[in-house]
Parts: sequence; C-alpha cells; structure tokens
Amino acid sequence: MNEYKKKIDEILLSVEKPARYVGGEWNTPDMTKPHRAKFCFCFPDVYEIGMSNLGLQILYDVINSHPDFIAERCYAPWPDMGAKLRENNLPLLSLETATPLKDFDVVGFSVQFELLYSNFLYMLDLANIPFYAKDRGEEYPIICAGGPCAVNPEPFAPFCDCVLIGEGEEMDLALLKLVADGKEKGWTKAQILEKAKEIEGVYVPSMLGEGEKVVKAVVKDFENAPYPTKPLVPNIEIVHDRATLELYRGCASGCRFCQAGYYYRPIRERSPEKCAEYGKKMIDSTGFGEISLCSLSTSDYTGLMDLEKELRPFIEEKKITFALPSLRLSSFTKEMAQSSRKSSLTFAPEAGTQRLRNVINKNVTDEEIDNIGRAFEAGYDSVKLYFMLGLPTETDEDILGIAEICRRLKKLYFEIRHKKNLNISVSCAVFIPKPSTPFQWEEQISLDEMLRRQSLLRKALREIKGVSFSWHGAETSVLEVALARGDKRLAPVIVRAYELGAMFDSWTEYFNWDIWVQAFKDCGVDMQDYVGEISEDKVLPWDFIDIGVSKKYLLGQRHLAYQGITTKNCREGCNGCGANKLGRCTIT
Amino acid sequence: MIVLKYVKTLDARFISHIDLLKHMSRILRRAVVPVKHSQGFNPHALIFFSPPTVLGVNSYAEYVAIDTDMKGEEVFTRYNNSVPEGLKAIEWFECAKNPNIQGKSVSADYVFDVDYFDVDLSDGLTVTYKKKEDFVTEDISGKICGTFNADGRLGVRLASGNNNLRADRLATALNEKYGKDIKVTTIAKLCQYVLVDGVEKSVDEYLRETP
Repeated sequence: MNEYKKKIDEILLSVEKPARYVGGEWNTPDMTKPHRAKFCFCFPDVYEIGMSNLGLQILYDVINSHPDFIAERCYAPWPDMGAKLRENNLPLLSLETATPLKDFDVVGFSVQFELLYSNFLYMLDLANIPFYAKDRGEEYPIICAGGPCAVNPEPFAPFCDCVLIGEGEEMDLALLKLVADGKEKGWTKAQILEKAKEIEGVYVPSMLGEGEKVVKAVVKDFENAPYPTKPLVPNIEIVHDRATLELYRGCASGCRFCQAGYYYRPIRERSPEKCAEYGKKMIDSTGFGEISLCSLSTSDYTGLMDLEKELRPFIEEKKITFALPSLRLSSFTKEMAQSSRKSSLTFAPEAGTQRLRNVINKNVTDEEIDNIGRAFEAGYDSVKLYFMLGLPTETDEDILGIAEICRRLKKLYFEIRHKKNLNISVSCAVFIPKPSTPFQWEEQISLDEMLRRQSLLRKALREIKGVSFSWHGAETSVLEVALARGDKRLAPVIVRAYELGAMFDSWTEYFNWDIWVQAFKDCGVDMQDYVGEISEDKVLPWDFIDIGVSKKYLLGQRHLAYQGITTKNCREGCNGCGANKLGRCTIT
Repeated sequence: MIVLKYVKTLDARFISHIDLLKHMSRILRRAVVPVKHSQGFNPHALIFFSPPTVLGVNSYAEYVAIDTDMKGEEVFTRYNNSVPEGLKAIEWFECAKNPNIQGKSVSADYVFDVDYFDVDLSDGLTVTYKKKEDFVTEDISGKICGTFNADGRLGVRLASGNNNLRADRLATALNEKYGKDIKVTTIAKLCQYVLVDGVEKSVDEYLRETP
C-alpha cells in the first residue's frame, strides 16, 4: 500500500460517504500491467454523478483495453473531503492507485456542462497544478478536456494544453500514443502538442493559426466501436445505478434548441443484435438489476422492438427490469407502454402550443399528445411532462397552453379510466441558447421576465388538481448561457469566481450567484454581452470548430423558426445539414 | 438456505451496511447463484444479514443467509469468484430456514490494535457522540461484556444486536480516558455471538448445530 493510500484511509472516517474515495469497484482493470503512458480521467463532479457517465466508462474501457496504456479516475471530492486533503497536506489522488494527478502523463477533464467550470479549477487547485497552461512547465502532465462543453471550449481553453473536440474513442488513443512516443524520444510538451494538432478533433489553444478550423472527431464505424461490456460496478448507490446500452448517436428530430441533437450528428445506429449481446454481457459481468437504454431519443431507434424481443427472455430469466427513458410522444406505442413497468411515464412536449412547437421544431402535434391515452389504457396513473420557458417568440398564450395540456390529459384519463386520480408533474427549465444550434444567436429572457413567466404558469397550474410544478433555477440559467457562449475573456472570470469561493455550482446548496456577479465585475466583463441577442454577422467564439452541420444550415433553421415552418425528421429524408461529410448518416 | 461467512476488510470496510445490502443482490446475480424471491408486487431477493459492523472496522465475522437450492460448496465458489478480496467468503453452512442471526445477536468480539491493559469500568465509561443534530453523552460500561488478552492486544466483547455498542465509540472513550491512539481502521471484529435458548454461543457453533 502506498503512503498516500494509508493517509487517505486514516481521514476517510471523518468524511461523508468514504466509499466515494476508495475505488476497488468490481471490473476494475489491471492497474499493474507494464505501460507506455498513463492517463487520468478527471470528472469535475462528485463520484455518484461521475460514475453514472457513460462516456467516461466507454473511454476508460478503450484506454485500459489497450496493451500500452492505463487509465485511472478521479472525481471531485465533496467539500468535506477537499478540506481534509488540504488540512493533511495531501494532493488530489487517483482512485485506483492513489497517485497524485501531477504524476500522470495526461490528465483529461470530462466537462459535461457549464456549471462544472469552477470545479475544473477546484480539482487543479487540489492537485497543486497551476490553472493556466502558459504557467505550467515540462514537469506537469498534459492537461486536456473534452465532453459536451468542448462544443465551445473558449472559456476554459486557456486552462488546457489541448481540447479534445468530439468523440474520444480514437482521439484519446492517438493522443496517448503520441505522448508515449514523446516520452521515449524526449520531446518537449510543445513538440508533442505540435504533432497532436494533426489528430482529428484536437484543438491546441496556444497553436491555432488565423482562420484555422478544428474538425470534430467522429467514430465512423459505430456498429463495431468499442463498448464497455464489463463496466465498473459502484460499491455505493449512484445516480444511474444500472447497465446502460447506447443504441445510437445523433438525433433525427432536429429540435432547434437542442445542442446534443446537432453536435452528435451524423446519426449512427447500432444493430439490435449487437445491443442485445452487449446488454446480456453487461448484466452477466456486473449483476446489475436493470438495463436502461441511452440515446437522444430512444423510442426513435428503429431496432427498438427487435431489441426488446431479443432481450425479453433474458430479462425475465434474470428477474431484472428494463427501462425506457426519454420518450417522444410521436413514436410512443401501446406495446411500449405494456412491456415496461407501470410506474410513471416521461414526455417532453417542451412548449405549450402547436405554434411554439413549430417554432422550435418539436414535431409533436396535439393529436400526438392524445397518444398518452395509450399509456392510460395500459395502466399508467402518473405522467411527467417537461417544458421550457423563455423560448424564442414565446407569448403568455404559449405558457398558458401548458396548463391546457394538463387539462386535456386529465379529461382523457377520465374518459379512459373513469377515475380522477391522475398525477401530472410539470417540470420547467429555462431556455438556454446554446452554441451549435439554430438558436445560438437568440437572447435569453431577463431574470425578472423568467420569474414573471414562472409565476404566471404556477398560478395557472394551481387551478388544476393533481398537478405538481417544479422549476429549474433562474440564476443558474443565466450563468449557463454566459459560460456556454463565452470567449477567452471568461477564463479570468472563472478563476476569479473560484477565488471568491465558487465550486459545485450545479448543487443548489453551493451555488452562489453573488460570487459570479462579483467575479464578472472584478474582471470588467459584462455578463449581458453573452446573454443578449447576438448579431448574425458576428464571428462567434466557436466558429473555428467544424461540427459537420454548417453555420448556413443553422442560420436557415433559425429563419424557418421565425416563420413557424418545421423541418422534417431526418428519417423522412435528408435535410442536408452537412454532418454526413464527417461520417455516413446510417438512416439516410 | 446457505449461509456464507465472509470478511469485510480492505477497501470494502468503507462500504456502508446499507450499500452492501443493495450490492449483495448484484454479487449473487453476477455469480449466477439463483436466489429465491418474495412473492407480491415488488418481489425482493430472499437474503438475510448479520448485524451491521461500523464503517471502517475490519470484520472477519460477517454472515449472509441466501435462500437458494444451489449446493453450499457451489455457492461458496461462485460467490468468491465474483467479489473483490475485501469481501471473500471463508466458510459456508447449510440450514433449513433463515437462522435469523440479526435477531439473535447479543455480542461480538473485537481486537483493538493497542497493547493489552486493564480497562477500569468501576466508575463507568462515558463517551460523547453526535446523534442526528445533537451531541449525547452515554455511559457505555454496561455494554462492555468483558475484556481479554488477545495475543498481547486488547480484546473486548461488546453488546451487539438490539442493545449494540459501536466499537468506534469504545475506541473514542478509551483514547480519551487512557490517552491511547486507537484508530478505528485498525479494529478487527473476530466473532459474532447469538443467544439461542438462553445460551450464548458463536454464530459458527449455532449454525453447525442447526439442522
């Protein structure tokens, strides 16, 4: 046992949930094999969230399956553990072998969303690694970052030696090979990065030439792409505590607010046979009691029924459950309702009226909402509905339309079941204009306006029995927009916010709006510059990234939105977004 | 019904009892041990545990009773192929029905990593600990069933089951009263005792005698 591990064991009993910090999960790969280079995945959120991330499990498996490389993990320690590490003069350590982050060849952060930026710095700070790449000498590992936020990496790019844009399966290995070569041949960090630039998807912030573009990395052969059939099994309860099957990447729906829908194009499906095989292997190797399906719109997966059929006997034999998340109303069928467990159903109409749904291209009609009746026939008594407030062109009528949908469902339920005890839970987020979507130029409504619309809806819903209403924080939404559409000027703001105490911003108990307001002020940056409408002719901070979908297409979609014209689902024919230049779109 | 006696050491000693309860179904599923389930709307696996051992303590006397038709030797082997080092089974027993170890537990032996010394309980022994939001002071001397010399180390028998004394609380009390430095992570639980027909015996003995 190394000295660090011994010291960690001694402080573990003074913190909450010590099992977060010991590792030793079932299916942990061999950490003692001879290797050429060592990678540490850093997840800037707590263990239970990080362990639930499929992307990290995939990449962890890819690297550890390679004979030359080892990957370890590190999750953000909860503040009590962070304080204990400092108190005991211990650096942040990897989970598997209690190795300081500084001693790895590459440290890679998985940045899942904007409110984790402060934790990026929290982890670097605990690891005694300087924040800015320019301040780190040869003695420090290569610090990189990837994940969904790499769609606009500019706010955190100054902290990274390189940013990995797109899908990491091939990119991570290519980078590690280069780093291993560099180690053996005595290259400097700059020499390694100069070569890393040539890897598809790798952006080296210090070396991007004028007018240069970085093309997003895409796994072209998704059917045969590696998948972790022996994923790590957590020893404590985590958020997604089950075997997860990824059915396909990309999305055919083209909802105009959805970043993932554009960023993960082209659409690539995995065959139901392969998915079923992976599902069985995962259950056998982990013992999980549940398989869940993961993709942007699961019920649009063409092989869904075949997969269900293939897995059903196995599921019954093993007495496990099979969950169907993220359902689209238009593709929901009675068979689906009957074959899953009758607890609660989740749908996302996103907007209250047909007009606004046309604007955002959520191709769900009022008739399709009546589809939920099939679920009532199958025995469901509870429905969760997701909506967004503050969408472009939204009026009060659209907001009141949400209450109208609830009333319609109550009526429908009564007609079918002759009972009145339907539970509807309405959950509302604030619209966040995200980069690489047709709405990337839109303004976000002001804080006051958010609160007014929220109160309007709450009042309307209060009049309907059996409807509960929950709401996503207004201030965090403003910060999310600013960070999502930010440029390099925001790096010092993030540093300042961290200095003022920002961390775990995605946790309501830790989020402190005043700190961020102060940080923007201290750095002389106006948050409004990032939250207001952006002119269409302006060069955007993320324009240098080629995600496949062209800017022209996004702009065209924006203009269609304002005319209330929808775009057909990609399955009905190609809309020419441009993403298939990066890899074949398997549904066209 | 097969009862496995297993250890909870190394990293596994930091897994809480509740988490381990949930985890056991997974272990048995990946070990392909067919566990019987309760009837009803929400069927659950019929597995039963010995009383919880406090977080951080090394235990060499944990028990899980599994309702299965599989032979003990087979369950033992399969289980051991599906758990990390810190949860290995060391013995197995067979019995006709749930032995209810939890309900029958009365005491347990622990060894503290400190040279043996006389623990004076004549004036009681108090410890203060946090219970929910409040601090409580308790005289724990009545829950110490005895002390013994365990190869030069301090051995203690503590009340277990309904009237439980947590080993870490005794360690705190001894550290305070005698200026010792007993670390919870060095405490070892060696034996669990149950009360059967008025007689206190080790769980192993009880299981060997139970048809």
